[in-house]
Amino acid sequence: MSDRAEFLGSIRHRTQAGRYRPTNAPDVAWTRKGEPRESEPIDDPPARFIEELEALGGHGRCVGSLDEARECVLELAREREAKLLVRWDVEELDELGVDGPLGEAGVEVAVWRDLADFREVAEKAEIGLSTAEWAIAETGSLVLEHGPGKGRTVTLLPPTYVAVVPVERILRTVPEAIEKYAGGVLPANVCFHTGPSRSGDIEMSLFIGMHGPGDVHVVLVG
Amino acid sequence: METEKPARRRETEDRRNEGIASGVEGFNERARRAVNDQQLHDSIELFTHKSVAGRNAVLNALPEAPELRERAYRIKQETMANLDRYLEQMADAVEARGGNVFFATDGEDAVRYIGDLAREKGAKVITKSKSMATEEIELNRRLEEDYSDLGLEIVETDLGEWIAQLAGDTPSHIVGPILHMNRKRITEVLSRTAGEELPPDVEALGSFARRRLREKFVTADIGITGANFGVAETGTVATITNEGNARLVTSVPPVHVVVMGIEKLVPRFTDLSVFVRLLARSGTGQKLTVYTNFITGPRGEGELDGAEEFHLILMDNGRSKLLGTEFEEALYCIRCGACLNVCPVYRQTGGHAYGSTYSGPIGAVITPLLKGQGEAKDLPHASSLCGACWEACPVGIPLHDLLLKLRNQQVEEGLAGKAQEIAFKGFESTMKRPVLYRISSRAGRLAQKPLKKDRPLPGPLGAWTGSRDLPPLAEKSFRELWKEGI
Repeated sequence: MSDRAEFLGSIRHRTQAGRYRPTNAPDVAWTRKGEPRESEPIDDPPARFIEELEALGGHGRCVGSLDEARECVLELAREREAKLLVRWDVEELDELGVDGPLGEAGVEVAVWRDLADFREVAEKAEIGLSTAEWAIAETGSLVLEHGPGKGRTVTLLPPTYVAVVPVERILRTVPEAIEKYAGGVLPANVCFHTGPSRSGDIEMSLFIGMHGPGDVHVVLVG
Repeated sequence: METEKPARRRETEDRRNEGIASGVEGFNERARRAVNDQQLHDSIELFTHKSVAGRNAVLNALPEAPELRERAYRIKQETMANLDRYLEQMADAVEARGGNVFFATDGEDAVRYIGDLAREKGAKVITKSKSMATEEIELNRRLEEDYSDLGLEIVETDLGEWIAQLAGDTPSHIVGPILHMNRKRITEVLSRTAGEELPPDVEALGSFARRRLREKFVTADIGITGANFGVAETGTVATITNEGNARLVTSVPPVHVVVMGIEKLVPRFTDLSVFVRLLARSGTGQKLTVYTNFITGPRGEGELDGAEEFHLILMDNGRSKLLGTEFEEALYCIRCGACLNVCPVYRQTGGHAYGSTYSGPIGAVITPLLKGQGEAKDLPHASSLCGACWEACPVGIPLHDLLLKLRNQQVEEGLAGKAQEIAFKGFESTMKRPVLYRISSRAGRLAQKPLKKDRPLPGPLGAWTGSRDLPPLAEKSFRELWKEGI
């Protein structure tokens, strides 16, 4: 059993007593002369987002209105013959107004609040629906912030996952997204979610849908 | 149910005691066996070739990569110089968010903390996400042995790690744990677990694993992960996986335990924008890993999922010994595996030959440093010193340099063989005396006369010329030419 003060004290002793300061800075091996030092700017973030997501095996669409976005979700539920959809309890998805039409189409909708056992619901649902705090054009990633009403397993346990994201939430690069949390307090869980779950552990052959959803859709609205 | 196949040699060996606490003599013998294993060779070739190609493509497409590499090195340098302060800051931040922090001097401390926690919670099923730190301390074996009365079922959930666990095997690569197994072997292992013959295709094998592990994810009492990074400023732990297993392990069970090596710290959250980009590109040739997940403390009020209890174990286990020494840079490693993939030794022998949790160039450096030189004498010599590891390292650790320093230390501490010691001493005294140096270089030219024309060296030295030519010494040395006015 190690005492905190003792543990830190022994480390302090070593960092202060140590004379050697490594000077082998990483040198030239990676430095190419006369080549650009920065990535090209991204001209059309929504198009780039969709391009990157599709390259990973995800599906992206850009639609003009909430009505169209709702249609996308309904169509997906029909195609997957879903019986249960679980969704985040957030205003944006209330406004999307999928619950009624889904119900009429015979799809039960579970909203992420007051659930007796979240596992059972998220496990049984064929589709998880959420929005995202940000989307990153450079990598086709969603930045998911979790909290009350915004369950982690909604985006994880159902085999199909769909996010409806306002187009103005697209950021260009990963550093831009990380910068959003600079110096601040983070929610208990933030996830940069990039495409379908996958594994290459068997002979480097890609297996899609390893533990999380293999069927990932993003609908950009605006 | 299939009939038991005759056990292969790899299975009959006890390979469970490969943590940092166990000795790793015998690299040469294991390497000799490995280079004659054609199936192993094909598997390594497939993995390393694809990994290197993917990494090169995606890094070459990032113009700022050299700058990121430099920044990564500087950030780690700054972190190590102030490690005590950053550790304290991280611990305070975690506690402020309602998490528990435990400082573990060694693996035993960590095992005891987790074992006692499991007892307190009455835990039965523990899900684990791939973590080198827990491999290093052989957490699974020690929990099963030391806490056998609890009847714990500890399940690895990374596909490769799970298959290794089922086969009683250990990972042979930081990123690709079962790259040494071909599909036939994997099919055997999973079929035995399924109790039926599974078809040898990736789709069927992967789907079976998904179903079986899903049952474990949703019933686990405790989830254990490592940490790719820990952020001092916010108390955040980053877990980075493609499969999503770390995210499930941290989202479903009521208790989450993190075992984090103290060197995994970075000072600020924004530092991660350097590291996550380098790690994904260097490790798997991706721009960003699928689930780049950040956990800060237990679930907040009103949240339905996520762990209710968060335990962070900050583990030293020999790391702090390197602080302020000429080996400090070994602590900058972010475990991407890029140095393994480019290493001409690793590519011939695979990971198991190293006999340690950590293989390849970084393994050859940190194994003797963490275990003690006497325990892993062979490893600093398992390198051609070509420097490919250093070039591939996204943090710029001069691995070849560190290997050389380790060899030097062996000679100084009298751990090297007698012949090597005499050779180095002789070399040293010759180099210090100009007269001796001149005589020896002339003697060398005379002595090489009968050896030229591609003839092999005599006796045991013939092993050297068996695969390469001995470059002849010049007729006249540079000094002689200089005297004659060149």
